[in-house]
Amino acid sequence: MTSFQWIAFAVLGVSFAVTLTLTVRRVIAPRVGFAWALLWIAAAVFIAKPELTATIARAMGIGRGTDLVLYFAILFMIFGFFAVYVRLRRIESDMTKVVRELAMRSAQEPVVDGEDRGRVSGGGE
Amino acid sequence: MISVVIPAYNEAEAVGGVVAELVGRGHRVIVVDDGSRDATTSAAKRNGAIVLRHAVNRGQGAALQTGIAYALKRGAEFIVTFDSDGQHAAEDVDALVAPLLAHRADVTLGSRFRGSTEGMTALRRMMLKAAVLFTRYASGARVTDTHNGLRAFTRAAAAKLDIRLDRMAHASEILDQIVQHGLRYEEVPVHVRYTAYSRRKGQSSIAALRILADYVLGRWMR
Repeated sequence: MTSFQWIAFAVLGVSFAVTLTLTVRRVIAPRVGFAWALLWIAAAVFIAKPELTATIARAMGIGRGTDLVLYFAILFMIFGFFAVYVRLRRIESDMTKVVRELAMRSAQEPVVDGEDRGRVSGGGE
Repeated sequence: MISVVIPAYNEAEAVGGVVAELVGRGHRVIVVDDGSRDATTSAAKRNGAIVLRHAVNRGQGAALQTGIAYALKRGAEFIVTFDSDGQHAAEDVDALVAPLLAHRADVTLGSRFRGSTEGMTALRRMMLKAAVLFTRYASGARVTDTHNGLRAFTRAAAAKLDIRLDRMAHASEILDQIVQHGLRYEEVPVHVRYTAYSRRKGQSSIAALRILADYVLGRWMR
């Protein structure tokens, strides 16, 4: 085994263990944990048997195994960015709803004759 | 009673005068302080406005929706949106509401290009015209001024509005929703006054590109 393989296996092993722990503790959904676990296993397999990527690459019409890995890595990253972006927009819109609700509940009356009456009690005309 | 909704962000310098003029004309004024770090809230309250305060800045679209929702809750019959930087004229409010009172329209939109402007730079005019062309194409609304903060809604029309683009792209979004809901709209000539203050506080022309991106993404993600 090359030294790179030792390092990679160590990193992947830790990642796998963390994924497993988070899944068991229900920090992440089982579905998500399973997807990550699959990714770590696939990475380990390809690092253990690099010639496998070359075989798959040729079958898919891509010259080299490393190119195959690179292309898929880029695709996953684009998908990842998109997923994060969608989630961010949802969080932003939820945040606006919370901020709006708070603002409406604590509406402040105008100051009349220098007297600040603070919040409006209740709504309605 | 007419409720005037004013979204304001760090406008302590100008908002007081704007509020005082509108209150003086007998309107109920609702200022939405969009998380300002200056004295916007107290300036508005001292001059007779009801103030809703966003705990953190959420953008002008979000502030408008908050103000409109509150005006509806307080039983407003007509809701007018108005800018906080003093570029609009308080006397235009009655002209905007007139077609609604006459049941001719559900929504009226202020147009500086049908009306008049002072102090508008050539670049600003060009950017606004480009925005008008784009928005006409995107929403199908036949209007001459798409990015004017001065608008009026009947209660029923305002209740149909659901502004979800929190930042500046709401101007196009409002037009989209007017068309989608089949609301009757009419443009009313208004006067827009650009001052050194409003030019400093307003949107830069570069920001227009960000607004465009926000709008396109928002439409596409809906």
